[in-house]
Amino acid sequence: MADVKNLEELVLKGEMTIVEFACTKIDGSIERMKERNPEMLWTMEIQKFMWDGYRDAHKNGKKLVFYGGSVPTEIIAAFDCVGFYMDTIPFRLSTNPALTAKYIDEAEKYVAPSMCGLDKTELGAWLCGAYGIKPDIFVYNSVPCDSSRIAYPALEKIIGVPTFSFDTPFRRDERGAEYLADQIEDFIAFMEEHTGNKLDWDKLKYYMENANRNFELQRKCADLRKHKPCPLPGRLLVLNGTTNAAACYPIMGDLYESELEVGQMMIDLGMGACPDEKYRIAMLQNMIWGNAGIMDWMQKEYNAVAVMDAFGFQGDIIYEHMDDRRDCLKVMGKKIQNNPMIHGASGPSEHHIKMVDEIFEQYDANVSMFLGHVGCKHTWASAKMVSDMVQEKYGLPTLFIDLDAIDGRYKSSDEIKAQIKEYFETVVMQ
Amino acid sequence: MNHQKLFESDISSEAAKEWRSKGKKVLGVICCHVPEEIFYAADVLPIRMRATGCVDSSEAETWMSSFSCSFAKAMLQYWLDGTYELDGFVTSDGCLMAARVFDNAAYINEREKKGQFIRQIGAPRKRSPRTIPFYKAELADLVDELEKFTGSKITDEKLKEAAAKYNEARALVSQLYELRKEKNPVISGADTLRITLAATNMPIDEYIELLKAFLADAKNRTPITDARARIMVIGSALDNPEYLEVIEEKGGIVVADALCFGNRGFGEPLVVDDKDVLGSIADYYLSRLVCPRMMDKHEEMHDFIIKSVREYNVDGVIYQRMQNCEVWGGENVLLEQKLKNQGIPLLTVEREEQMANAGQLAVRAEAFIEMIEKED
Repeated sequence: MADVKNLEELVLKGEMTIVEFACTKIDGSIERMKERNPEMLWTMEIQKFMWDGYRDAHKNGKKLVFYGGSVPTEIIAAFDCVGFYMDTIPFRLSTNPALTAKYIDEAEKYVAPSMCGLDKTELGAWLCGAYGIKPDIFVYNSVPCDSSRIAYPALEKIIGVPTFSFDTPFRRDERGAEYLADQIEDFIAFMEEHTGNKLDWDKLKYYMENANRNFELQRKCADLRKHKPCPLPGRLLVLNGTTNAAACYPIMGDLYESELEVGQMMIDLGMGACPDEKYRIAMLQNMIWGNAGIMDWMQKEYNAVAVMDAFGFQGDIIYEHMDDRRDCLKVMGKKIQNNPMIHGASGPSEHHIKMVDEIFEQYDANVSMFLGHVGCKHTWASAKMVSDMVQEKYGLPTLFIDLDAIDGRYKSSDEIKAQIKEYFETVVMQ
Repeated sequence: MNHQKLFESDISSEAAKEWRSKGKKVLGVICCHVPEEIFYAADVLPIRMRATGCVDSSEAETWMSSFSCSFAKAMLQYWLDGTYELDGFVTSDGCLMAARVFDNAAYINEREKKGQFIRQIGAPRKRSPRTIPFYKAELADLVDELEKFTGSKITDEKLKEAAAKYNEARALVSQLYELRKEKNPVISGADTLRITLAATNMPIDEYIELLKAFLADAKNRTPITDARARIMVIGSALDNPEYLEVIEEKGGIVVADALCFGNRGFGEPLVVDDKDVLGSIADYYLSRLVCPRMMDKHEEMHDFIIKSVREYNVDGVIYQRMQNCEVWGGENVLLEQKLKNQGIPLLTVEREEQMANAGQLAVRAEAFIEMIEKED
């Protein structure tokens, strides 16, 4: 088994594709985990399912659908296609800064450096021919942000496959849900045209049922985190971010079932993620993907566990009338509108404020942190409103740290830790 | 008629004061996807908000952070410090920065009980049979709200009258731009921008009269004969004529643009369908080629740029992108190669609203002009 550095070298030289790299790296992690932490294998299974699925889509006779932003993945799955959430590339590579740097540099030959690192990585990697897979169809949405609104239409032209785009309104209301439901009808017609198949409502129902199960389980996992001490580590909040890519597949539910099982076991044993929990952190923004180890470090160093972030609240929109086509499409529209941190933070700020308020209300957090990705300018532009609410209503000052979720050159793990350390020692622990 | 007022690009509240003194409302407009015709029909003075001359937006920065576009921050700053004397403003979700100006202002408005009329309309990012009715419904909401706010009924007739009035301004701005096609234009790029910016400082009726007077007098102006290169400027919201002056002082003359404060902000004539007046306005504003926020108009914008280069006999294009302006930040992915294929030189520069990097711009513009200038 080649080590990660060697694999990285191969990718940097163009001798290995990103998909091969991800699959090989995940297989390596699974092998190591089998030896060292076999009880945690479930955390890797979803990643193996996803990446092997992307790699083998064409081999398995399935069409590969690239998608960007929040789109109705249930429909992609119901057409028996494999959906590839493009953000999984930067997400996956974020722990390999040499790779993200290469693709970001490639993108910056054309785009402004201030563009979000996710979009730059997706764009740069495609321009380098590094993906290792090519889609049959591309679908994107006008959310989450201005960066993606520019990157996706550019990718549409560069990739050059049949493409469908959604326009998501800024506000979240009935008009918007109806508007999106109309567009989803158009999307179904588009998929029928480009797959040659009619929509099989029973298959769609299957995936909608899965989505319901997954979101209900996610809500239960979230509820476990209300317990004191919090039974689940902060790192799992980061992993739960994969929901956007696998929300309608049974494997996502399996991950949550395992998470629930572990969490319940911890509660039964009277144990928490920290041996002696002192601080419960609410993450107002949580884009620490390249440095998720900091979650472990905070637990160890300060007995501080991230109890909830704005990615974790997704469980409240479910399909209720599965034989009512219009109702289902409207639910999909509402899911698009409310997808936390996808549209959740890029829609009206009031929703972000409300979400954070709920975290403090329900999770009894006593530390407030905003670990903000510099590419999410719209999130920064509402940060004062959010943190003012936290200060006024809960009496807590918020720690703001700017970081780049993807580009490790922006700020090192040690620099982030130093800022957190100073905050704990000069504010929290005083 | 003295048309000197057209060249006063500093933000002035004179027109707003006068309008309000008659008991009428004045509203700011943020983003070119808010149809000013509707305000005209409601007898409200629309003031398109900008940030010209803002040198300190620190208060706004505490709200929007240092990671936001400096143009948007400066607009919020002007609203916060009362530079504009407004009864409120209306914005669209043109970009997320405009949206956050709205969010923060609405939050402050409520918190400080300012009682201003602050509204946002949703503007789709595509033009299609699905998006036009959505946008029309948003505009209908705005009509309702303005009627309540002003007590004035906005009828189809008034909207048609407004469209005709704004079309008149559009036609005059087109004539202004025609002057720039001449080998030796009688107006510089900086002065052209001053004239288009002036539309944001006064009622459209007054603007039309002043512009007519200027155009009538244009033949008496001295042609500019010493320019070494003809430039087209494209990119982020540019409301600072001094920026173009830096380029022109180095021997270029800006003869064309794709700027939302230039003629793109005026656009082609709005053709009204009598059977669906508001629908015509909705369709028009989604069809206009103003800002790359429209996901389906990038190629059309690129074609427009290339066509303008030909029509205005441009030697090179300067693409200025505001830091943290993402909507204009990504055009080079496709545009750069297209321009290269057409043999059109391109200079890409980063910019902030405040003129902090004028020296660097001057150096780069001079080098670019030397590179592209042609011998007669």
